Amino acid sequence: MREPIAVIGIGAVPVGRYGDALEHELLLAAFARAVEDAGVQKDDIGGLVFSHPRTYAKQRYFATFMAGYLRLQSAATVLEVVGDGMTGGLAFDKAVDEILLGKCNVCMALGVSMETQVASAEHMNLTMRAVGDVDFQAPFGFTPISWYAMDAVRYMHEYGATREQLASVAVKNRRHAGLNPIAQYRDELTLAEVLDARPIVEPLGLLEVPPRSDGAVALVLSDLETAEKLDRPYAVVRGRGFFHEGAHQISDKPNSMIRLEAAREASRRAYEDASVSAAEIDFAELYAPCTIVEVLASEALGLCPEGEGALWAQRGETALGGSIPLCTSGGLLSRGHPPLATPLYNVVEVVQQLRGEAGERQVRDAELALTSAELGNYNAALVHVFGKSV
Amino acid sequence: MRSIRVDRPAPYPPRVSAATKPFWEALREERLTTTRCLDCEDNTFPPKPICPNCFSSRLTWQPLSGRGTLYSYCRVWAGPEVFREELPYTVCVVDLDEGLRLGSRFLDTVEPEVGGRVTAVFVHYTDATLFFFEPEAARKNES
Repeated sequence: MREPIAVIGIGAVPVGRYGDALEHELLLAAFARAVEDAGVQKDDIGGLVFSHPRTYAKQRYFATFMAGYLRLQSAATVLEVVGDGMTGGLAFDKAVDEILLGKCNVCMALGVSMETQVASAEHMNLTMRAVGDVDFQAPFGFTPISWYAMDAVRYMHEYGATREQLASVAVKNRRHAGLNPIAQYRDELTLAEVLDARPIVEPLGLLEVPPRSDGAVALVLSDLETAEKLDRPYAVVRGRGFFHEGAHQISDKPNSMIRLEAAREASRRAYEDASVSAAEIDFAELYAPCTIVEVLASEALGLCPEGEGALWAQRGETALGGSIPLCTSGGLLSRGHPPLATPLYNVVEVVQQLRGEAGERQVRDAELALTSAELGNYNAALVHVFGKSV
Repeated sequence: MRSIRVDRPAPYPPRVSAATKPFWEALREERLTTTRCLDCEDNTFPPKPICPNCFSSRLTWQPLSGRGTLYSYCRVWAGPEVFREELPYTVCVVDLDEGLRLGSRFLDTVEPEVGGRVTAVFVHYTDATLFFFEPEAARKNES
């Protein structure tokens, strides 16, 4: 990156079910924590970038409403970004842009995502229109995670990976979540429980697909000079990469659906931008809504050998204490998945780890980390490389 | 190729535009078609009024065999509210012999087999015709 950007403040509410709480009130709790954590004054904040809230959110024009609610003036930007599962990642990325462009020294990235007020089946009436062609795919009844389940079937077919290997990802992530106070599901899981769970998108059962979750995150970003002056622990964004493969769910020209080309290209660019290699990454917080997605992403990002991601999960290589811990927060499966805020939660975990504040789940000597965000069937990927220092 | 009549409307029927009307009309007559570019010869699915390869607007309609191989599939047990009555059902990705990939529904009277040969089935709902797929062997047993 032209210059590294610092993440100087993090605030997140525990992922869970917040009933009929109001979006902006949930977000305020995260906002207050992030501002306090950063030690910035109101006048320091030059821009606000929000995840666009769900269609169900009553309050529209959420960003400008919040600027008014907080009586916060901005000369950089106040806006909402949207990009399906990538939304929170784009909010973060856009906040980085504002600082890099010199429009402000301090910019916030914020997101609130409330999913539990609407029943899952009803919600899918909406999301099925996002994950496919409304006229040529939606009429068949694809759901967002049905695409991932088809990835799982194909992966097992090509590599001979087993159901047990895939399921071990869920067991591992639950163990991580047990050590994370803001995780939604923290009770230990056994492999048998994962394998015997009722089918959702067979072969994947209830415990291999994301739960329904509410959550809110606020992050404070700044240039390095500002971060240094504040004299508090911070983490640094060292590189980033984005790629859209020009396909929506599937390419009409047959290719490998499980190689996640966008994740390969985005991470290649991010590693180059950060002047690091995949082998140097100490841990990663992946956008992986299903067990299979963590496996495929771990391979595409160069963190596990080709075709061995599931095997590595089973062997414990991707668990805390293993060679490349993945989703130490518990991941989308157990920390929880409020989709529009999820990529921001991933940044929270990375910053906690790099600041050495992750308690029992601390990755030892954590210096370099990676986050990914995606949309569709990883048709687009956004990858950030973080460092403990520049 | 086999066809099936279903005595109810499609759970989520496609919209029909001027550009896609020839596709849906051919489908009702049990022919699978798509657009092919007259300039670069590339085909695409779904049919479009522009060639995504070279952006030419000179296109023609190409008949498709409706035959291909099953790339992958999964069985949906929790689906959108509008599909409640059809649960559980199997969705699939099929690679047609013409070098095009599409998403569809799989009629799984037998266990689907990745890489297995499949053939289109025309499913006539009361308000729309859709294209499903089934194993080629099932079609043979039928005839």
